[in-house]
Amino acid sequence: MQLKRHPQSIRAALAAATCTVLAQPLEATAQTASDEGTWDIQSGILFYDEGDRIQVIEPVVDASKTLEDGSLLTLRAVVDTVTGASPNGASASDTVQTFTSPSGNSTYTAAIGETPMRNVEDVRVAFSGEWEKELTRMVRNTLGGGISNETDFLSLSISDTIKLDVNNRQTTLAAGLGLTLDNVSPSGGTPVEMQLLSAPSSGVGGDETKNSVELMLGVTQILSPRTLTQLNYTMSHSSGYLTDPYKILSVVDGTSGSTLDYRYEKRPDSRTSNILNWRLNHQLNEDVIYLGYRYFTDDWGINAHTVDLKYRSELGNGLYLQPHLRLYQQSAADFYHHSLVAGTTVPENASADLRLAEMDSTTIGLKLGMPLAGGDFTVRIEHMTQEGESSPANAIGVQQNYDLYPTLDANIIQFGYHFEF
Amino acid sequence: MPTSSSLVITSSSDATALAVAQRELKAAPGGDYWVGRFAAMASPCELLLEVSARNEAQRLLDIAADEAQRIEKKYSRYRKANLIHRINHAEGARVEVDEETTRLLDYADQLYRLSEGLFDITAGVLRRVWHFEAGAPFPEASEVVQCLQHIGWQKVRWKAPHITLPAGMELDLGGIGKEYAVDRTAALLAAETDSSFVINFGGDLFINKPRRDGNPWQVAVDDPDASGRHHVGAVGISSGALATSGDARRHLLHNGRRYGHILNPQTGWPVENAPRSITIHAGSCMEAGMLATIAMLQGAAAEEFLQAQGLPYWLID
Repeated sequence: MQLKRHPQSIRAALAAATCTVLAQPLEATAQTASDEGTWDIQSGILFYDEGDRIQVIEPVVDASKTLEDGSLLTLRAVVDTVTGASPNGASASDTVQTFTSPSGNSTYTAAIGETPMRNVEDVRVAFSGEWEKELTRMVRNTLGGGISNETDFLSLSISDTIKLDVNNRQTTLAAGLGLTLDNVSPSGGTPVEMQLLSAPSSGVGGDETKNSVELMLGVTQILSPRTLTQLNYTMSHSSGYLTDPYKILSVVDGTSGSTLDYRYEKRPDSRTSNILNWRLNHQLNEDVIYLGYRYFTDDWGINAHTVDLKYRSELGNGLYLQPHLRLYQQSAADFYHHSLVAGTTVPENASADLRLAEMDSTTIGLKLGMPLAGGDFTVRIEHMTQEGESSPANAIGVQQNYDLYPTLDANIIQFGYHFEF
Repeated sequence: MPTSSSLVITSSSDATALAVAQRELKAAPGGDYWVGRFAAMASPCELLLEVSARNEAQRLLDIAADEAQRIEKKYSRYRKANLIHRINHAEGARVEVDEETTRLLDYADQLYRLSEGLFDITAGVLRRVWHFEAGAPFPEASEVVQCLQHIGWQKVRWKAPHITLPAGMELDLGGIGKEYAVDRTAALLAAETDSSFVINFGGDLFINKPRRDGNPWQVAVDDPDASGRHHVGAVGISSGALATSGDARRHLLHNGRRYGHILNPQTGWPVENAPRSITIHAGSCMEAGMLATIAMLQGAAAEEFLQAQGLPYWLID
């Protein structure tokens, strides 16, 4: 038989213990919602592979921390290692094609019927930072800056964004301004724009510069506790050297289509783009739908539409699967030509860069996320197909036998790990 | 390849925006005080404020909601990448905790002693086998025994500021968190205003002082048979905290016996013959809440335990 004890009063002891636990200084914890003193780290590595073209390995580290005054500091470091071959702009032809760099120190060839590719090897190192601070209870300011460097390219950027919460904090208005200064120093010198490659070298130029200004206006609206929508408008204006110094165009015979010569490309010295970006995030019971649409238009004649859909499916225990579908379509720049015809007027601007051509691109992917060793691990696999006009109507002679827009297939795998310390 | 900077509103601020936007502020019917509402810690939270200006009410509401959401973010075991998650997934490794957590763990340690092992923040593991939704299966005795191996505060190595949890064990501060949030918020608001206020986080509440006209706030005590629809009665509270343990909607019927949702961490089984609900009035919400929980854990001896404490209480059998 168990002895029945008389219940004791624990009230006094409990009151004393409660006093102690509540004796914590108020400001120390009340200021901010995030754990002070800890760094929030998002690390990742991305492998991008275009098969017989470009491969990119890109490790990234993002570190953010709430500072003592409640402001949020985010630092980012990225290293891109790019290797492989990239189309140089010249078309496939019925002869073996040999190319020499502007300075003449290196040559490469393309076999009959093959799209000429230039070897690419570069390492880009970039650092950037952002500092978000509450100016008043409803106004936040984010100051950002970055530097990016590769062998032939240096970029400096600075930006500032102000966000204002209004309408009982159901609406956030944002306005931002960004400036970017770039310096291009092509390996082998800057070629003379639109010059024939066969012309006697009139000397290669030195460094070139490019400046960009970007203005962003945005509104984020809470539609319901589970639905958020955002509309951003961005206007970007670039001026200076916008040409790609490594890209050329084939000059072909007007009847046979055979390649006779090549010209360096030339792009307009300014570009103004207008971009509308809309997205909607909606949470179902557990799952989340992310829907986005982007419209891009610029004074180069490019109009592009992007639809992006992701569905985050929660599997329990922190595990989730997120399928992704992205559809992209763009029209060609006004000065895009797959090649130039010998004996016709040389246009003021011309480029055969496939990225300026009419094209469609489809990306499908799947991301898996799971808790791992106190953090979150993600792996993302994506496949992108980019297709353009392989057999354009204006192909001449032998050009009709060749693929003037080789389909690009790229595979992406990215590993990410998010943790705090 | 040149890449230009691009200005976007990041998703992290969206998350903040979402949390912040779910705060609602309205004048009370009659207009003599403000009612602020938001959700935190899986509960509807309410704030009654006897201030005149809407701006002032909004400012106080933001302070309260920020604090409740801060505590939720830091201590919820449903969130990833917070301290509790780190402790619970350390797989037997030592984890260093901050000062606030140190105080809470010390508090939990004292509760364990004062309740003679009945109040145990490692008992959350039992939720893996006990489900109190309608139609949920009753666990096998072997499953419960399996769980018990991973329960017991005495198995935790706690020497501030380091905690070491044997692998498979979990901490759950859910039994303390809401009451702690009420008391912390009360202290924050008291430092900001002289006006009378009521903090009500999912039924755990605190009142700082009588209303402007000297009257107490009227608080309704829920009828567990018709929770949210019928009140057993209203009680006037001028100051102090009320907290309730027990929830008539969450129980299991098995072989004709009724099992409440309060689990005994020593047996792994629901406490038998416990009252359906206990509400205590004390100086702080933590005292009221912890006493109500410990009283529930006494089962049939709950009322005797409550009488020994000498605090006002409402017990529903």
